[in-house]
Amino acid sequence: MSRHIDTALLSAYARDETDQATSMALEAHLATCAACRASLACFVDTERQQRGWEAIRGAIVARRGALEALLAKAGMADGDARLVAATPSLRASWLIAVSVALGFAVAAGYQSANGRLVFLVVAPLLPVAGVAAAYGPRVDPTYEIGLAAPLSSFRLLLLRAAAVLTATTVLAGLAGLMLPGPQWTAVAWLLPALGLTLGSLALSTVIAPLQAARSISLGWVVTVTAVTVPAQDKLALFDPLGQIVFALLAVVGSVILVWRRAEIEQGRPG
Amino acid sequence: MSGIHGGVQVVGVRKRFGRTCALAGVSLDAYRGVTGLLGPNGAGKTTLLQVLATVMTPDSGWVRLLGYDPADSCDRTEIRRRLGYLPQELRFYPAFTAFEFVDYVAVLKEHTDRRARHREVSRVLDAVGLGTVAGAPIRALSSGMRQRIALAQALLGDPRLLVLDEPTTGLDPEQRLYLRDMILHLGEDRVIVLATHLTEDISALCHHVVVMNAGTITFDGTPEELSGLARGKVWVAASRHPEALRSWRTARGQFRNLGDPPSGAQLADPTIEDGYLSLLSAQVRKAVA
Repeated sequence: MSRHIDTALLSAYARDETDQATSMALEAHLATCAACRASLACFVDTERQQRGWEAIRGAIVARRGALEALLAKAGMADGDARLVAATPSLRASWLIAVSVALGFAVAAGYQSANGRLVFLVVAPLLPVAGVAAAYGPRVDPTYEIGLAAPLSSFRLLLLRAAAVLTATTVLAGLAGLMLPGPQWTAVAWLLPALGLTLGSLALSTVIAPLQAARSISLGWVVTVTAVTVPAQDKLALFDPLGQIVFALLAVVGSVILVWRRAEIEQGRPG
Repeated sequence: MSGIHGGVQVVGVRKRFGRTCALAGVSLDAYRGVTGLLGPNGAGKTTLLQVLATVMTPDSGWVRLLGYDPADSCDRTEIRRRLGYLPQELRFYPAFTAFEFVDYVAVLKEHTDRRARHREVSRVLDAVGLGTVAGAPIRALSSGMRQRIALAQALLGDPRLLVLDEPTTGLDPEQRLYLRDMILHLGEDRVIVLATHLTEDISALCHHVVVMNAGTITFDGTPEELSGLARGKVWVAASRHPEALRSWRTARGQFRNLGDPPSGAQLADPTIEDGYLSLLSAQVRKAVA
């Protein structure tokens, strides 16, 4: 944009004929440029001008955080970006905690021949915890208000779950690249993570989300222990047959989640 | 489906939490104006408001809100489009500013157009007198200001039904007067159901009062009818009367007694508080008997 806004563009803005991205850019400029604000006043009547100032005031005070700006830049709708950016388990403190846990798991991989197992056990648990903390009673301060609002709670849950899954996948993927040993172990946690997360979401339509995550996590640790302790190959659980089982778990979890979506719209168990 | 202009109709609603019976067959009608729910802690007021706000599904009973059935998913969405809800304990994202928080709720309320949404957020913040602190972080605001932010989000979209759980809690007297004035104004063409512990709220705001106790409705009428329950049962004396059901010292150092007055007692005009206490005392006496 040049130093001052073109009059044709100002005129279009005054008539509400500019698209959202253009309007946002114009409002950012108008917030700081008295000359352009004065020019804008020529194009609008008093009432429209007042509404315009309110929108500009909104642009000033409704600042975007780094994550929200990133999501908007990636093409996510303005409102969805705001909903996702408020996710408790996408805060910097949470992501740092996830990174630290992954760091320890990777370090364990260098300690012994079976150290990679630690990473493969820990990595799938991180999205389970993150998704459980993303939306629901006790974890989201505005949960009750959100439930009383017309926006679909199921959609909000999926939006946030997808965002948390993406963030933890990126972090765990980067950590996996640092693991010693065969390359396939860097991604062998992906399907278990998906299966456990969707299983946990499905279970959360029956019991509280945090309780569901705890139950699934406990079940995971017990299963890994039961399978690996007697086995010769400590990574047997992550072989192709195991991956098929985890993929099936993801499919079953998805079906149950969609089937029981009404429970989420009405209010998740607390 | 009936029209959207109906009020609130609740018939025989029951809700249990384990062994605790929160609502034991509650029936209630509320139309345009302000209906106040009064009752002690644990009476079931919040549970009833949660049912009216569609965030709690009753175990049984019949509910219609603005003519819609909240048990039906499509109707429930229609209700939510016309609903403003202030829960008892609203928590905030502490890093948000007042504007960002209300803007976030506006997104939840399907205000998708950004410019129109920001105008609406500005409007409701101005309505609660917080336009000048819109850009301040919530964690830096007083509890009274936070309560007004909570009310502002409930006003988004000009809702036809307002469900407010203790809206005046945490406000100083001036803010309370401001808020009462606003609620009265809103109640002129909306259905408002609010819960409160303050009998002053009832006398200042409500044309209709409902008293709840132990999950049941024990009174349903006008504020005048509630205070009338204590007519002829309130007297002022220099000392606490041993036969009085309730007796408390007033600011003037006299004792206000509630019960069957002795002969020659100086009877006083009953207040809503007298009527409420008289009702509760009668229930306690009945339960003991």
